[in-house]
Amino acid sequence: MTIKVGDVFPEAVLSYIPYDPSNPDACGLPQLINTRDAFKGKKVVLFAVPGAFTPTCSEQHMPGYIQHIDELKRKGADIVACVASNDQFVMDAWGKSYKVKDEIMMLSDANGELGSALGLVNDGTAKRMGPIRLARFALIVDDLKVVYLGVEPARGVTVSGAEAVLAKL
Amino acid sequence: MAIEVGNVFPEVQLKYIPYDETNPDTCAAPQILNTKTDFAGKKVVVVGVPGAFTPTCSSQHLPVFVAKASELKAKGVDLIVCVSGNDFFVMSAWGKSMGVKNSIIMAGDANGDLGRTTGLALDLAKVGLGSARLTRFAAVIDNGKVAHLAIEPDPSSVTVTGADNIIAAL
Repeated sequence: MTIKVGDVFPEAVLSYIPYDPSNPDACGLPQLINTRDAFKGKKVVLFAVPGAFTPTCSEQHMPGYIQHIDELKRKGADIVACVASNDQFVMDAWGKSYKVKDEIMMLSDANGELGSALGLVNDGTAKRMGPIRLARFALIVDDLKVVYLGVEPARGVTVSGAEAVLAKL
Repeated sequence: MAIEVGNVFPEVQLKYIPYDETNPDTCAAPQILNTKTDFAGKKVVVVGVPGAFTPTCSSQHLPVFVAKASELKAKGVDLIVCVSGNDFFVMSAWGKSMGVKNSIIMAGDANGDLGRTTGLALDLAKVGLGSARLTRFAAVIDNGKVAHLAIEPDPSSVTVTGADNIIAAL
């Protein structure tokens, strides 16, 4: 049962380490975020990657969002967030490796709660990547309603990329 | 039922990305590390950590092994392996950020096989790290047999599993 355009975005608890401008290199304290509370009343661009620090995610998917972040915000995105099943420390480190501050929220769905609720979770054990991996996708959520869903059909970045999302904002 | 000194170290396939000195920044092709066939006839130090990029692991545990790798090798260690429940891409990136080159194999146990077979798995789902993590441990494996095993009583600290204690046990 996969999420569709028009559906209400599910409530899930994710983890992240907020950017601390007073101490940008330190490892801040993890915080929990409830998607319903945090996304209510906002326009959210959420893109998901199978794995932090993996080739396609690092070279093709994330850089597109970093490049277009100002445009995304100008076109009405209140929150731009990246989510993966890696833990919050790994997501924080990955974001820092791109010098991301607070313009992109680096979210962790380590228990696969969001992935399962969306029906967009895969088993990576055959590749020794563990049993919980998110599919590659991008969502536009407007006041908790899904208004765009781009699930990548194959390798590479097309409908889940920043440009595809910009065209829909 | 955790592994003990005298036991044969279990056979598990871990994955890692080897360091490529001709191209240190790129992501080389992943390789399999078999803990039976690749450890045969060797003295191996295996260091288990709960999480790459986490505070204790990054500031207290791994750096000392990186700094003392040549000392360990001088005392007869053929291979040093650092392993966690993270995947091998994450372990490779963590190793790079910590200045590990060839000295330590940064292996991923994302499927939880090593944790399960050694009994050294740690459920950290409550703190958002998932249920298939490794507790903090350090083992000396001599020709496939566990010769020394240190399990950190409090995984958030580094005492018996630190590099100096392992060097002393060699």
